[in-house]
Amino acid sequence: MQPPPSSREIQSMNSLLGSSEISHHDLHATASATSDDFFHQMMLSAALPPWPGLTPANANANGPIDLPAELAPSKHEASGVGFHRFDETAAILASRLRNHQIGNGGSKPAMMVHQHQMLLMPHDVADGSGQVGHGGGSVQALYDGFAGSLHASGQAPNRTQLFHPPQGGATQAAPPNFAAQAVASASTAGGPAPAQPKQQRVRARRGQATDPHSIAERLRRERIAERMKALQELVPDANKTDKASMLDEIIDYVKFLQLQVKVLSVSRLGGAAAVAPLMAAVSSERGGGNCVQAGARRNGSSGGDQAASTGDGLTAAEHQVAKLMEEDMGSAMQYLQGKGLCLMPISLATAISATTSHGSRNAAVSGSSHSHVPALAPNGEGPASPSVSVLTVQSATLGNGPGLDGGSGRDAASVSKP
Amino acid sequence: MKNPQRSPTNPGSVRSRFTQVFLQSLLRIRKHSPASSSSSSSLGEFLKRCHRVKVAAYVSMARAAGTRRAWSRAMLWRVRHDAHRHRLLQGRCSRSSSRERSPGKKKRRTKKKKKRRDDQEHGFGNAEKLQKLVPGGEAMDFSCLLDETAHYIKCLVTQVKVMRSIADFYSL
Repeated sequence: MQPPPSSREIQSMNSLLGSSEISHHDLHATASATSDDFFHQMMLSAALPPWPGLTPANANANGPIDLPAELAPSKHEASGVGFHRFDETAAILASRLRNHQIGNGGSKPAMMVHQHQMLLMPHDVADGSGQVGHGGGSVQALYDGFAGSLHASGQAPNRTQLFHPPQGGATQAAPPNFAAQAVASASTAGGPAPAQPKQQRVRARRGQATDPHSIAERLRRERIAERMKALQELVPDANKTDKASMLDEIIDYVKFLQLQVKVLSVSRLGGAAAVAPLMAAVSSERGGGNCVQAGARRNGSSGGDQAASTGDGLTAAEHQVAKLMEEDMGSAMQYLQGKGLCLMPISLATAISATTSHGSRNAAVSGSSHSHVPALAPNGEGPASPSVSVLTVQSATLGNGPGLDGGSGRDAASVSKP
Repeated sequence: MKNPQRSPTNPGSVRSRFTQVFLQSLLRIRKHSPASSSSSSSLGEFLKRCHRVKVAAYVSMARAAGTRRAWSRAMLWRVRHDAHRHRLLQGRCSRSSSRERSPGKKKRRTKKKKKRRDDQEHGFGNAEKLQKLVPGGEAMDFSCLLDETAHYIKCLVTQVKVMRSIADFYSL
């Protein structure tokens, strides 16, 4: 990469660190002029291009660190500078220097400084930009490193304390990475030897997790999150409790839609042969109030043969039929036949049930199709719900009004048993 | 339900494209089996026709969606190969096509092992289920899968609406 400039910067940093030892008593100072000076020295020594005006939000005592502006005037008053500021600066710059190795030399320092400025901005800057937050983490880690180095040089450990306040922004930076860097930088700072190769490790941009894997991970996670959100809007009944349940919902919905297509494809065969008109031999396998009565019939115009369940609940057989319908229509019909049932258009079913003794059921049959609409909206049952929803949807389409029977003459199957 | 006479406002939308292609395929199917009257067809024939309609629906949807989408490409590929295999084994009942469909899927199943790692990130085993549902989903990572699923759901909804409106139209 570009060791020379970095080494220069690092050396200047080292020198500055040395000088900062003197002013370490100013650790607690709030002013941050030293940071400016630090930057100045760094930049001047590195002969870096002027940066755009960068001004930290928390105004330092000397005002915003306007690097380009201050680059020209070499204010080397390295006193009265808030040490924590200095530390931040130093840490950030150290990290930046490392990153410098990675990227093009010109932009890196600018990025470093810029990010430093951003860091100096209120630390509560959201981690949205990512850089700031990570900058905080990196700063902290580097602080530790610097603290260690300063310890070595006999400096006060106060700096460690100061690391925490600046930590404001959320730091997702991999601490170990930074710690490693900090250690490396510390060692470098402590030792006059350049130790360039150690410091110029591959480093991601400051403000982000240095580990490229974590960056990729984060991107991936964000992408997945936004796609899940988009899916949520498509799928009805999106509770968004958590991803797993959302995924289940999505899966159910896709299955349901596919089943609908299948059912509709059956119903759309205008003029298709009448499916075996197996009249319903009502076999009430389940006791209950479920009406299971299925007849198959097709009229010339169009037939809708679907197996759906009305009634009080979804019985096992209906579940089975629904499941079978998903796989293959034929098997579903054969299953029904085996039970002595068949698919029947709703109109026919209602007509038949009208003549049965279960008058209440009839109403239930006809009305339940609609009443199911709200009832079955929360599809608790897995495989059965799609079929029921299909019926409800069909019935909804059949007649918006209350009168399902004889509404449109459309045929929709109803499985009901008198 | 929407009245069938309402024309799509956007002529280039997925819905209108799908409608066109689907109607054409339906006509073709009808021409193919003209003997299908209420009396003649047996259950098997009827089912075969149902299956053909369903396949036509999916194919037309895939075509309408365009080949820019992975799932549409996968669906078209699958249908084409299944049709090819079906032609080879002509004379069997419609069940054969559904059976032949599985060999097509087996190809993709090998890729599933690799992708299982990605499923651990989010959504665990559900991602596998979703991969099975969405055509071509087994060869994607999770984020792509979600994307394809969104588009697939949108197209499915369109398909259902169109088919239902056609059915309504005919039944009235």
